[in-house]
Amino acid sequence: MSIHTKRIIILVAIAAVAFVLGRLAVRAVMNLLLGGTLFGGNFL
Amino acid sequence: MSKIKKEKKVRVVPIGMGILVFCVAFAAGMVSKFAITPSWSKEYSPAWSDEIGTLKTDIPYGDGEANLFDLYLPKDNTKEDYGLVVYLHAGGFTSGDKAGDREMLSWLCSKGYVAAGINYTLRTETNNASVLTQSNEIKTAIPEVIAAAKEAGYYIDKMTVAGGSAGHALAMIYAYRDGAEAPVPVVFTFGGVGPSSFYQEDWGIFGLDQSDEACAGLFSVMAGVEISPEEVADGSYLEKVKPIAAAEWVSTNPVPTVAAYGTHDKVQPYLASLRLKSALEENHVDFKYIEFPHSGHGLQNDGALSRQWMEAVDEYLDKYMPVK
Repeated sequence: MSIHTKRIIILVAIAAVAFVLGRLAVRAVMNLLLGGTLFGGNFL
Repeated sequence: MSKIKKEKKVRVVPIGMGILVFCVAFAAGMVSKFAITPSWSKEYSPAWSDEIGTLKTDIPYGDGEANLFDLYLPKDNTKEDYGLVVYLHAGGFTSGDKAGDREMLSWLCSKGYVAAGINYTLRTETNNASVLTQSNEIKTAIPEVIAAAKEAGYYIDKMTVAGGSAGHALAMIYAYRDGAEAPVPVVFTFGGVGPSSFYQEDWGIFGLDQSDEACAGLFSVMAGVEISPEEVADGSYLEKVKPIAAAEWVSTNPVPTVAAYGTHDKVQPYLASLRLKSALEENHVDFKYIEFPHSGHGLQNDGALSRQWMEAVDEYLDKYMPVK
């Protein structure tokens, strides 16, 4: 596997995790203001 | 020299690039939470256009600056009579505007109903507006809405009253408390997260269950009457808050109901909504009470139930106010 391919895979993984965390962060803030659980329901 | 070469080999992703990608994706995730809506919801939120009908805005109904309503008239004006749906805006009785419900009102109008959004005098630090005065303004507005529709050529024969949060509370008060005196039969009410009862022990979210003073203070403001801590202590406050406690009026005019509440609500107590549910059961009302087990006041974490809720609203509209 070339270093270029490895780099792409790692960056995609970082982006996917960050995207999910971004959505969870909004959910956490909304829950703080309005009430709600961090997990469950429509998870993201 | 060989050491430097070795380091370069193992660093597949430069740290700076990794941080940049993380930040961009994190921000995209945050934005997506607001920007991406489920495909099913588009059906219930059409953009207003002349293809749907005619919109008349800011029609006055009283002396107050806020006493204005918008009327959404369906394109087909050939029918003998029409159902009216009044939708009251949210905002904690202190903010909000009828324009915020344009999508909901457009959807209702697109179904063939005359739809109306009504503004009411909001509570500020300098006025004495209360839930009671607001509910009375809505009561005053309804005949004016029906008259304005008639003047535009749309004869109203029955109505539904609905709303979100504060608007839901006012809608329920109108349906159950005032509905029997309405100019046309109130056949259905729907909405979400509206406070419907005021028992001290239910309002722990604001600590009112721990303090008679705090309870007297908040309930006085909401009910528009002076309530003392002593009245809270001896329970006589309940009679004073009754005019704004929709659940207490269900037996007066038991209107079919669809209501949604979040079990983790921090703005209006979930426990209060259970009293509404009990009142609907005791009075044998045809109702659907949809509980969002992971959500709070925004009903924000249970997408599948949001769909179920809107489908229930649609079903009850078709059942109790079918478009002819």
